[in-house]
Amino acid sequence: MRSYFSDFPKTALQASYWLFVIYLLLPLALMMAISFKDANFVAFPIDKWTLKWYAQVLQDKQFLEACLYSIFIALMTTLFATIVGVWIALLITTEGMIARSVIFALACLPAVVPGLINAISMRIFIRVLDIPTGTGAIILGHTVHAVPFVVIMVLTRLRSMPNNLVDAARDLGADSFVAFMRVTLPYLAPALAGGMVFCVLTSIDDFVRTFFLGGYQTTLPMLIFAKVQGGMSPEINAMATLVLIVTAAVGLYAEHLTRRSRTR
Amino acid sequence: MMVDSSMTDTAKVSPRAGPSYAGWIGKLANSPIYAATIGLIANSRMARLVLLLAIPLIWIVTLHIGPIYQMARISIMDNYPPAPGGTVYTLDNYRLFFQEPLYFMPFLRSIVFAVCVTATTLVVVYPVAYYVAKVVKPENRTRALLLLLTPFWAGELIRTFSVIMFLANRGAVNVFLREIGFIDRPIIMLYNYFSLSFGVIYLISLFMLLPLYSAIEKIPTSLVDAAADLGAGPWARFRRVILPLSRDGIISGCSLVYLTSIGVFAAPLLLGGPNSTIFPEIIASLFHGSSDKWPEGAAFSILMLAVSLSTVGLFMRVVGGRTVKLM
Repeated sequence: MRSYFSDFPKTALQASYWLFVIYLLLPLALMMAISFKDANFVAFPIDKWTLKWYAQVLQDKQFLEACLYSIFIALMTTLFATIVGVWIALLITTEGMIARSVIFALACLPAVVPGLINAISMRIFIRVLDIPTGTGAIILGHTVHAVPFVVIMVLTRLRSMPNNLVDAARDLGADSFVAFMRVTLPYLAPALAGGMVFCVLTSIDDFVRTFFLGGYQTTLPMLIFAKVQGGMSPEINAMATLVLIVTAAVGLYAEHLTRRSRTR
Repeated sequence: MMVDSSMTDTAKVSPRAGPSYAGWIGKLANSPIYAATIGLIANSRMARLVLLLAIPLIWIVTLHIGPIYQMARISIMDNYPPAPGGTVYTLDNYRLFFQEPLYFMPFLRSIVFAVCVTATTLVVVYPVAYYVAKVVKPENRTRALLLLLTPFWAGELIRTFSVIMFLANRGAVNVFLREIGFIDRPIIMLYNYFSLSFGVIYLISLFMLLPLYSAIEKIPTSLVDAAADLGAGPWARFRRVILPLSRDGIISGCSLVYLTSIGVFAAPLLLGGPNSTIFPEIIASLFHGSSDKWPEGAAFSILMLAVSLSTVGLFMRVVGGRTVKLM
C-alpha cells in the first residue's frame, strides 16, 4: 500500500504525458481519417472508404501551383536569411566588437515582436518605400522573420568552435575569405542545414505575413485558409494530410540534423 | 588538418607564390579576377572590417528597426497617404483608442485571453515536461520528446483545421458522446472562447514545452534525493526544490507563449465567434479594404506592441529578479 502511494506522483505524471500526447495527436489523426471518407460532407462516423479525394487533390491545378509558389518563396527566403544570418552572427562574434549584446538584441527583434505587428509594420514599410505587394514583398517579410533564428542557431554553433582553427588557416597563408569558405563554413554546416530546413518550414507555414504582403497569387496557407472558410469537404482533409506528411518528414529530418550537430 | 597535404608540393606545381587548394575554391582563389576583387578586400584589414560591419548593420537598421519606426511615424499622422495640405502630427489616433470601447474592450479581452492561455498552458505542460525530463529513462527521452514534437511540424492552419473538425457539431467529440449515449444533441463547442483557447493552446504549447524541458532536465537529481532524505514529501520537494530551479524555463516559456498568443491571427479568424473578437482582428480590419484608417491601425499596433513587451518585461522582473535571456 505504501509503495502504491509513493508511486502515485509517477503514475499521475505518466497519465498526464499520455493524455497530452492524445490531445496533440488525436485531432490530426481524425483529420487524416476523414480524408478517406467516401462522402461529400465532413462528419463522423466514416462508413465507406475511398481514395478519390487524393486523386482529386493531385489533379487540382490550383493546389499544385500554390505548392510550387510556396516552395519557391521558401527557398528564396532561406537563401537570403542564411546569408544575412551568418553575416550578423559573424559580426557579433568578431573580437573586440562593441555593443555586442545590443546588436544581438536588435538582430532578434523580429522574432520577439508579435507576428501580426511584425506583418503590419512590414506592410507599412513597403508602402512607404513604394514597393508593390507580391512575391518580392513576401520574400522580404519572411526573410526578416527568419534571420533571428539563423543568427541564434549559428551563434550557438560558433561558440563551440575553437578559435585557433581560423588562426591556423590564416597562418598557413589563406586570406580571410578562403579561411571562411574552407574552415568556418564547413564547421557551421550541420547547424546551417538544420537552420535552413527550419526557415523553409516556417516560410511555407506562414500565414499572417503572406496575408498582409501577398499579391494575387495564392500561397499554400492562403489556399487552405480560403478553402476552410469557404466550406468543409474531405478534399481539404486530403490536401492537409499530404502537406502534413511532407512537412513532418522534413521537420523530423531537420531535428535529426540539429541533434547530430549538437553532439558531434 | 583543414589545409590539404598538397600544400607541400604547391611550389613546384604553381609558379605563383601562395597556397593552393583543391576544388572550385582553389580555382577561384588563384584566378586573377579574384585577386583584383575579393582577394583585395580579404587582404585589407580596413575593407574587411567595413564589409563585415556594413551589411549586417544596414540590414538591422533598415529592416529590423525601419518598419517599426515607420509604423510609429504613421501612427501620429492625421492622414495616410498624406493629404495635399501637408501632414499634421497629432496624438488623436491614440486618444481615439481610449475613447472608443469598440476598440478598448477587444484590447483588454486580448490581454486577458493571452494571460489565461499562458497560465493554462503552463499548468498543463509542466507535468508533461517534468515527466519527459526526469521520469523517462534517458535512452527513451528523445523518443518521448519526438512524439510530442512531431505534431508541431504540421502547419498552423492545418492544425487549426483539425481542431475545427474535432470540436464541430458533427465532429469527433460530439459524435463520440452521442454514440455512448451521454448526450442527445451536440454540445456547441465551436466559435466561442472554448474553441479559441483549445486551438491556441494546441498551436503554441511547444513554446512552453521546450524551455521547461531544458530547464527541468538541468536540475540535478541529487538535490531532489537530498530533499527526500531530509524528509520532504513529494509536494514539498516540488515546491521548494524543483519549482524554484525551473524558474528560467518558466520565464522564457511564459514569455514566448504570451507573445505568440497575443499575436495569433489565423486561429481567431477561423475558431473565434462574433462574441470573442480579439484585438488582432480589429487591427487587421483597419488595414484591409479602406486604407484611410492606416494611422489608427498603426497607433493601435504600437499600443499593442508596447503593452505586450512591457508585460513580458514586468513578468521577467517580478518572477526572474535578475536579467534573463529570452531565448
